[in-house]
Amino acid sequence: MLKRTTIAAAGAITAMALLTAGCTTNAAEQTAKGGGDYAKMSPDALAEHLIFETKSFKLDMPVQEGGTAEARLKQDEVQVLCSKLRGKPVDSETAAKVTAMSRETIKYPAGGIKLGDWKIGRQLAWSGFGYRVGHRNDDHSKAKNGPGGNCYNCHQLATDRTGGTIGPPLTGYGKLRGSSDAILKYTYDVIYNPHAYFACTHMPRIGAKGLLTEEQISHVMAYLFDPESPVNK
Amino acid sequence: MLYKAAFAVPLALAIGASYAADRFADQAPEEILQTLIDESGSAYLNQSPQNRQMMPDNPAYWVAEEGEELFKTPRGPKNASLEGCDFGKGPGVVEGAYVEMPRYFADTGKVMDLETRLVHCMTTLQGFAKDDPAVKKRHGSGSDMMKLQTYIAMQSNGLPWNPSLDHPMEKAMRDAGEVLFYRRAGPMDFSCNTCHGVTGQRIRASVLPNINEPHEWSKAISWPAERAGHQNVRSTQHRLRGCLWQMRHPGINAGSDASIALLSYWTDAARGQPAILPDLKR
Ligand code: HEC
Ligand code: HEC
Repeated sequence: MLKRTTIAAAGAITAMALLTAGCTTNAAEQTAKGGGDYAKMSPDALAEHLIFETKSFKLDMPVQEGGTAEARLKQDEVQVLCSKLRGKPVDSETAAKVTAMSRETIKYPAGGIKLGDWKIGRQLAWSGFGYRVGHRNDDHSKAKNGPGGNCYNCHQLATDRTGGTIGPPLTGYGKLRGSSDAILKYTYDVIYNPHAYFACTHMPRIGAKGLLTEEQISHVMAYLFDPESPVNK
Repeated sequence: MLYKAAFAVPLALAIGASYAADRFADQAPEEILQTLIDESGSAYLNQSPQNRQMMPDNPAYWVAEEGEELFKTPRGPKNASLEGCDFGKGPGVVEGAYVEMPRYFADTGKVMDLETRLVHCMTTLQGFAKDDPAVKKRHGSGSDMMKLQTYIAMQSNGLPWNPSLDHPMEKAMRDAGEVLFYRRAGPMDFSCNTCHGVTGQRIRASVLPNINEPHEWSKAISWPAERAGHQNVRSTQHRLRGCLWQMRHPGINAGSDASIALLSYWTDAARGQPAILPDLKR
């Protein structure tokens, strides 16, 4: 009886040793491709490793702005700083850095800020077309007005269409705020690079990232300010 | 065990609800969803009454039925059934396996989700070639992959999400997944958190689930689900791909380590809440 137990126990120990050995070898094997052991990397380092070294994403596919998709996953400084918050409200130090950096990116039209055609602006504010890749890639040459502004995804604007609520409602924008030079500049700045006022906001940098051209921004601004625009009716 | 229990208590308190593990085990998906709605009053959970009405006749049940048959039939060059496949709870054990995935598998040295594990067993145990349609075709109710996934996942209906974090690899993948979830990139600076960090927000008319609200997140990650708008059962990997596409990020390869990391984090975020399987979504 005693002997049996001893053998069983010895067996269990051997099995455990084998199991542990098995684990380590295999774990090393999984990560051998990219190098390094996942469990030994910091979460940030592992995340970067997974994105760029493990063939997880289709990094070499061409993208509409030229080059390959890999560049889209490389973060700029604002993206790095804001990602670090992990969803928490921005602290004052980060906010100061992001705001200062973002102000510098804003370029103004040669002839000053002007309002364009609100009807084109309406289409641009509604359109979410553009920049999708992976499958069914958008072909920008096939769209009349090019990529859209996605404003309705996040904002309620005119009430004839349903807008999202990630951003505040902009219904009646021009009627409520008037169209002084100061408010025009503020609005242009927010559209161009919203981090200049709202550090680490969820709103895209529409101008700074080239999502809309200066001319297209003038049309969207007209949609916000023109008394004839449905936004102000 | 003791270690686990010590963590379970504060977690349950933190989310304000704890369920006996089997509380929902005999309930239909629509009944589980109703309880979550009653408890949370969530606009996201409540947004499609017409879909909820259709849940008892969810087309996914037919897909699962075909999946069960496929599961039990000897198939592939090696003429083996998937009853020999270990989904983490022993060969052939499917009950409760899905809510504990992704998990680490010693035989491959990898953290794997259900789809990756299925591919592994179909190629090793059954001997299918990687490019055999049985393995390669991942989307659509007519695919073997969706039939099998739907059947296996359904065996976890009503059980609490409980992905293992005991192995260092599981923990590493979950933590990297968290970084990925909050990582802003691309032309529009989107991260998953842009759209899934606050309760009740909408993209146009769609109410978005919040990863910090476990009632909402439990339904959000309950895949496979019939997507009414697609008239097909869709997988977890298909949903992930769809959100990345909307984010204008490059396409993700199903089963890739980055995809598993994201799934490890998103499953952990629903921990303790009952899975709704199969679900029916917009
Ligand atoms: C991904 C969501 C998103 C998109 C897309 C988006 N915005 Fe925003 N927007 C926001 C958020 C969020 C805020 C609030 C700023 C903050 O506090 O972070 C905001 C703020 C604003 C403001 C300032 C509002 C105020 O009360 O002063 C304006 C103006 C604005 N957006 C215009 C636009 C326009 C025009 C577009 C389309 C070209 C657009 N937004 C696209 C999310 C978005
Ligand atoms: C630009 C907004 C946006 C971003 C960014 C985004 N999603 Fe989504 N997500 C959506 C929308 C819209 C839905 C569909 C919700 C619906 O139809 O009810 C959705 C659905 C989901 C669902 C399933 C919930 C359901 O009811 O269908 C999950 C899970 C999910 N997203 C995870 C993610 C993850 C992980 C990421 C990051 C890789 C991400 N999302 C990024 C907008 C987004």
